[in-house]
Amino acid sequence: MQLQYFLLLAAALFCIGIYGLVTSRNAIRVLMSIELLLNSVNLNLMAFSNSLDPSAVKGQVFTVFVIAIAAAEAAVGLAIVLSIYRNRDTVDMEQFNLLKW
Amino acid sequence: MAELLIQSAWLIPCYPLMGMVLSMLWFPSVTRLTGPRPAGYVNLIMTAIAFLHALLIFPAVWQQPAVTFRLHWLTVAGLDLTLPLEVSALTIGAILLITGINFLSQLYAVGYLEMDWGWARFFALLALFEGGMCGLALCDSLFFAYMILEILTLGTYLLIGFWFNQSLVVTGARDAFLTKRVGDLFLLMGVLAIYPLAGTWDFDGLAAWAQTSEVNPKLMTLVGLALVAGPMGKCAQFPLHLWLDEAMEGPFPSTILRNSVVVATGAWVLIKLQPVLALSPTVTTAVIAIGAVTALGASLISIAQIDIKRSLSYLASAYMGIVFMAVGAGQTQAALLLLLTYAIAVSAMIMSCGSIVLNSITQDLTQLGGLWSRRPVSGLSYAIGALGLVAVPPLGGFWALLKLVDGLREDSPTVAIILLVVNDLVAFSVVRVFCLIFGNQAKQMAQRSPENLWPVTLPMVVVAALTLHLPLVLQSLNLLPNWAQLDKTAALLLTWSSLAGMAIAAVVYLGPVEKPVRLPWKPLQDLLAYDFYTPKIYRSSVVGSVDIVSRLVDWGDRYIVDGLVNLVGIASIFGGETLKYGNTGKTQFYALTIAVGLTVLIVLSAWSILSNLKLVVFG
Repeated sequence: MQLQYFLLLAAALFCIGIYGLVTSRNAIRVLMSIELLLNSVNLNLMAFSNSLDPSAVKGQVFTVFVIAIAAAEAAVGLAIVLSIYRNRDTVDMEQFNLLKW
Repeated sequence: MAELLIQSAWLIPCYPLMGMVLSMLWFPSVTRLTGPRPAGYVNLIMTAIAFLHALLIFPAVWQQPAVTFRLHWLTVAGLDLTLPLEVSALTIGAILLITGINFLSQLYAVGYLEMDWGWARFFALLALFEGGMCGLALCDSLFFAYMILEILTLGTYLLIGFWFNQSLVVTGARDAFLTKRVGDLFLLMGVLAIYPLAGTWDFDGLAAWAQTSEVNPKLMTLVGLALVAGPMGKCAQFPLHLWLDEAMEGPFPSTILRNSVVVATGAWVLIKLQPVLALSPTVTTAVIAIGAVTALGASLISIAQIDIKRSLSYLASAYMGIVFMAVGAGQTQAALLLLLTYAIAVSAMIMSCGSIVLNSITQDLTQLGGLWSRRPVSGLSYAIGALGLVAVPPLGGFWALLKLVDGLREDSPTVAIILLVVNDLVAFSVVRVFCLIFGNQAKQMAQRSPENLWPVTLPMVVVAALTLHLPLVLQSLNLLPNWAQLDKTAALLLTWSSLAGMAIAAVVYLGPVEKPVRLPWKPLQDLLAYDFYTPKIYRSSVVGSVDIVSRLVDWGDRYIVDGLVNLVGIASIFGGETLKYGNTGKTQFYALTIAVGLTVLIVLSAWSILSNLKLVVFG
């Protein structure tokens, strides 16, 4: 098990997350894609922590923080989506373009 | 006393200029109540002072070496512009002629412009001319002569455009200005090109340089031709002659001045430049050719005119052509004598014609006639002027032309023959005009034609008397050739040529030939009557091409130059208008641009690392 494989996996996951973030029309799926991104980051942190810093494991600590922040962000995000939905009766991302040109 | 007068000769051009400034006080916009007549009187007095001053100097400088002054004008790095003034018998004689004729034509204008309110402007311009011409006569430098010629060109424009509410006056003034200006600009090229060669602009210095110089003949030809082009325009020589015809739209008194003296300013410069022109045989040949063509063409055209003034104006071109021929052949003395006799004789003729036109109203020769019994004074003045112009002994023109023919006989007999032919044609032309005005039956326009009031008649008579006395004056100044050394053949030929022309004209116009006279071949008559269609030639050649080029340049400026600049602005506007659609208002698009931008940045900044990266997947 080499470090590169973890990194490549994380990068792949990150790309999938970006793809989902850009292409999804549903706001919830956008939030989910962001979770995917954060998870790929976590994967990176864990891989580095294991292979480069097995004694101090600073990366694992960071990962814990990231998970915590991710949870908080998801809560706020969902709340925002909910409040938009209450106003506009939709969660279609294409509809939220009040600021176009 | 004489010494003092000579020392103050530079004042002579200043008197008329002072008159010019003073007459501005009587502009209708300045003096609103009492009318403009004092402007004329002031100028008459100023001209009289200038004339008297010159007259008092004349005996003192006669047969004395020339006195020169140098007035410092300015010095800039390496170029010393000092105005040299020469007071000699020749220059003072020229000033006497200028101020004398100017005095008489101003007196004439007092009578002629009786019914005109524009005296202040008219007399101011006459005074400008007088001052300019006196300055030209005095100044001994090509550079300052050029400056004065340019000022006189402007003066011509203003003086022809005196009655500017007439459309033909405006076009005539325009043509006079532009045509003379073209010549002047060529002259400027010559003036500028001769300085590095000769190192001086003084006429004396140029003559001295021409004695010993060895310049590239091709260069000298070009410079000489440029120097000729200025006088060519000034003297109304072919092909720059149309302006003099159109300048006949101006008032009669100014016509007297212009035809007798102003056109001679160019000839004066040409005569002074003769030593320089003589350096190149091509230039002298060209000068003779221009003069000959003009003299022949203009005298033929003059015969075919029906307008009194125009018939006389072409004679001015013809006589200046003779002067050109004389200068080309190196006969400067004869040319100067011709200028003197021509100026006096032709002003008698023009004053007489003006006197006829003033109360017969029409200028059309076919409408006049039978005025001899009612207008004897005008008729006599015209006749004397005409006899003084063509070669009829013992009057002035005869001696000038005789001197010329005499000088030309050995070197260039062809030119002498042309001269005889021109003399014949001019004689025909002047007698034709005389017969049409004073001979035959009176037509409707000339039924009742009294002589004019004294300010018009007096100068006319005085000039006619001057024409009669000119031979005596010349004799007393020892300017006439000795009868014993005279070439009798040339004298006889000249006399016969003028008598023949006069006789034929008298027979044709007083005899049984049907009037109006028709040539057997009408296109030829029209060709001459319409001045070889010169306006059409101008319009199709120079004016046409300049017009087309200027339209093209204007189009290029409007659409290409302006267009390029406007294109930048339009492109910016277009860019803003289209690029704003990048702001889609969609968060996901912004996220995409951020991702793409970051990726590109990372790839670019880490390219060296990434390109060396070897990804080993298996083993």
